[in-house]
Amino acid sequence: MPDVPRSAHQNTHTEVDLSRRSAREIRRAKADRRFAWWLVWLYPPAFRRDVGLGLVDALDDRMRARRAKGASAISVRLFAVVDTVRNAPAEWIATIDEMLRAVTVRLKPDTTRHAEDVSVVSGFSRTRGGRTVIDKLLQDVRYALRLWRRRPGFAAIAIMTLALGIGANTAMFSIVNAVLLRPLPYPSADRLVSVWARTKAYPQSLVSYDEYEAIQKEHGAVESIALWLGQSVNITGSNEPQRLVGSFVTATFFDVLGLQAERGRLFTEQESAPGTVQPVAVISRQLWRERFNEDPSAVGRTITVNGNLLTIVGVVAPPSGMTESPRDGYFIGGVDMFLPVALYPTPRGLRAAGGQMLSVARLKPGVTVSTANADLDVLAKRLLAADPKTQAGRGLTSESAHETVVGASRTSLLLLLAAVGVVLLIACVNVSQLLLARAVDRQKEIALRAALGASRTAVTRQLTVEAAMMAVAATTVGFLLGRWALAGLAWLQPPSVPIPKQVPLDGSVLLFTGGVAIFVAMLCGLAPALRSSRTDISRVLQAGFRRASGEGRRLRDGLAVVEMAMSVALVAISALLIQSLLAMQQAPLGFDVSNVFTLEFRLPQTKYSKPEDIARFFKRAIENVRAIPGVQSAALVRAVPFSGNGGSTGYAVEGRPVPDPAQLPQARFHLVTPDYFKTLRIPLLKGRDFTERDDLQAPLVSVINETFAKREWPGEDPIGRQFTTPNTQGPITVIGVVGDTKHYTATEPAIPQLYAAHYQVPLIFCSLVARVSGPTMAITNDVQRAIWAVDKDQPVWGVRSLEGKVEATQGQPRFLALLLGFFAGLALLLAGVGIYGVTSYGVSQRTHEIGIRLALGASGDRVLREIVARGARLTLIAVAIGLAGAIAMGRLASAVLFGVTPVDPAALVGAAVILGIVSIVACYIPARRASRVDPVVALGEE
Amino acid sequence: MNLRPVEFHILLALAADERHGYALLQEVASLTDGEIQLEPGTLYRALHRMLKNGWVAESARRPAADQDDERRRYYRLTPLGRRIASTEAERLWRLVTIARAHRLLSRA
Repeated sequence: MPDVPRSAHQNTHTEVDLSRRSAREIRRAKADRRFAWWLVWLYPPAFRRDVGLGLVDALDDRMRARRAKGASAISVRLFAVVDTVRNAPAEWIATIDEMLRAVTVRLKPDTTRHAEDVSVVSGFSRTRGGRTVIDKLLQDVRYALRLWRRRPGFAAIAIMTLALGIGANTAMFSIVNAVLLRPLPYPSADRLVSVWARTKAYPQSLVSYDEYEAIQKEHGAVESIALWLGQSVNITGSNEPQRLVGSFVTATFFDVLGLQAERGRLFTEQESAPGTVQPVAVISRQLWRERFNEDPSAVGRTITVNGNLLTIVGVVAPPSGMTESPRDGYFIGGVDMFLPVALYPTPRGLRAAGGQMLSVARLKPGVTVSTANADLDVLAKRLLAADPKTQAGRGLTSESAHETVVGASRTSLLLLLAAVGVVLLIACVNVSQLLLARAVDRQKEIALRAALGASRTAVTRQLTVEAAMMAVAATTVGFLLGRWALAGLAWLQPPSVPIPKQVPLDGSVLLFTGGVAIFVAMLCGLAPALRSSRTDISRVLQAGFRRASGEGRRLRDGLAVVEMAMSVALVAISALLIQSLLAMQQAPLGFDVSNVFTLEFRLPQTKYSKPEDIARFFKRAIENVRAIPGVQSAALVRAVPFSGNGGSTGYAVEGRPVPDPAQLPQARFHLVTPDYFKTLRIPLLKGRDFTERDDLQAPLVSVINETFAKREWPGEDPIGRQFTTPNTQGPITVIGVVGDTKHYTATEPAIPQLYAAHYQVPLIFCSLVARVSGPTMAITNDVQRAIWAVDKDQPVWGVRSLEGKVEATQGQPRFLALLLGFFAGLALLLAGVGIYGVTSYGVSQRTHEIGIRLALGASGDRVLREIVARGARLTLIAVAIGLAGAIAMGRLASAVLFGVTPVDPAALVGAAVILGIVSIVACYIPARRASRVDPVVALGEE
Repeated sequence: MNLRPVEFHILLALAADERHGYALLQEVASLTDGEIQLEPGTLYRALHRMLKNGWVAESARRPAADQDDERRRYYRLTPLGRRIASTEAERLWRLVTIARAHRLLSRA
């Protein structure tokens, strides 16, 4: 036998030479020790508390010894890191496993527990007899509390799981309630409708003044109708020109929406009609506070709007008792100033301009939307007969105003609500499993109680009361969590997302929460109550009764399959959404978004009434902007892509039979100056760009896009061909072809686009685009000064990079995908915990059986494989059900899926694989425990 | 009972004397002729387990006899730990005896 050294201290002496330590060595030693501290910090807290210091010492010694042998600093630390990486995760897994096991029922009954149970049990039954229902219920409550105090972890986890699910549901429902369910904040909001003109190209188009007048005079189903349209207006006269949000309205607008003046007055129909329009304006309370500091003398002052001198005649109050007009309200949200509709800038006057504005109307009491639509059809036919040329191809229709405002958000919000509903269901299933496991384990106790005189219903009642208490506690906590989550979201203010700024707490939300609580209580309490009511007392109380291994297994397995299926469905749907989001983000736009500066402005019509004036402004503005250092190229365009603005026009190709004017093919219409294509890097495929020579004196020319060329002149050269449009005089010659571009969303289909020269069709609405070589927004002040050098009273706004504009359109789907993905992850986590619990419980129940098999020679590995295989079988069933559900839901949600079919195989397979991995891991941990069971201990169990 | 080899070696190393972490590492290495080179993490995980089971305990800290005066944590066997170590040793001794009887051991 080898000699064992006497004392360990000798060893430490020989290895570590401490006699000479230079300053550098001391520093290095300190650094090593700090490094060791950091590594030990990676271990679980309990471990650190018990042996952390010792481990730091040992690591430090190890590193020092290696250094003394001449190893480099890096390799010394690497060894320590590898050691930690190998051991810390295993320690964490052991810790978590223990924590979870402590929560589920401990199944080794020992005599001490039995004694406790008996005393608790006899206490329960002793008080029986001659009690009222309330007393019995109170007793049940106290009993449950006692049980919880004995196992606080169990109660805490069950309640927190439920609370998270309930909180998410409350928050989501509050949002749905505020956005979708509550009526608009105007009096008689249920009678408000939007009126649209209907053309072949656009089922919902803008209404003309003549149509409005006809409907107002007709007074059929409609009690009162108004026109309105929001638009930016220029305010000049003070130091800096300013831009405000205006809304051009007929006087009936205030009447239809029930708005009152809180100071001064609102304008009358005479004052707003074309021909008799007066220079008046009504301002919002917001503007009165911000610009005029709530000065009462603001009413009566003049203000220069779009070059017109207007008198402020009143301040309009926010609708029905709100403290402030809703910033994101549809009709009046964010509007600073209301102006008479006849001041709306049109080249030839409002009456001649055709369909220009939006319309809102109030129906007579008791009239439905379909009756109103029938009325409008008759009226449209009459208008067509009276004026066939202007009214060709135009009909009239209406829809509930509520639908107009919330229709777009409906699908996303309902999808989110369904998602949180699924999360809650899964949480309920988990808690139900916990209670079920406990019910099965307490069989002996329940049987004892029954034998001591408690009736079967008493036992069931106690279980139900306990489930109800859990539900109540979880609802309280969950409700608070939900409110906090809403407050957090409101504070974050994610952009362009259907979450209203104020989410009020009203009756519906409380009712919903209460309903959810009852539902949860019933769901969680049902399974264990069913289980316990089937207990065969005499059998259970026999000596040597062993928990049969199959007790309640089918129910548990069924529940596990249900929750896994639900989580698969949710993961698949959110994968689809994320895919569609990626498709949207990666869809080619047709132009280069990087390094492009944009801003918008509009020229006041009074100042620039002649096309020559507008053209001259444009030329000088562009020259000034091009002169700014860093600007590579600059151009003007009527509407920047992804700004939400744009227009379209019908066209007719020369040399072909003229189609019915109501059925003209449509093309998107852009006005650009030369160099626009170069600035945005849109490829010029054929012909040439516009030049300075294409101006008001030259014949009209146009550049078309590829789709236009392919559609009208397939296989031929379109250069030199001609077409006409209803709004221009004379034929337009094609001089060039460019690539297709996207304008509103990244995933819209390709449609014909035609570009006309700004200098030939000067319009007062304009945007500037400039490609810069440095940081995009750095030239903001220079550009502003360049424009003011041409006209010092010209305000500009919408200063943003093109990249930013494009990203803004994706804000909503991105947020939706994020939220949905978060809920799916939560559902997956809960389902994983669920199957872990089921498997772990199954293992514990079968400990005896496993012990026998191991003692008889089965290998631990085989046991492990069997258990995992069982879990895998359940998972497969769940995946099949879940994917079927996902496909069904995908069809419903196809409104929000762009560029991805609802049956996308990648998303479905991905979801199945993810769940497979989660459930295998969740099965593996208890299975490993099963394979390590000591047969001796297992056989001794009861 | 399931005694892992690492744990048995630690119990052996502690049977002789109280030791601190690094000394345990060295002792285990020398007991096995350099075959088992433990890293601190592995050692302390086993130590933690044995602490929880009550086989080892911390002993009062003694200053190491270096110039450094670093106070280290020392561990010692508990009576339970000693019993477990001896039970295991007995078990191994019985196996060794049987092996010797069947002439599996080259040395006597």
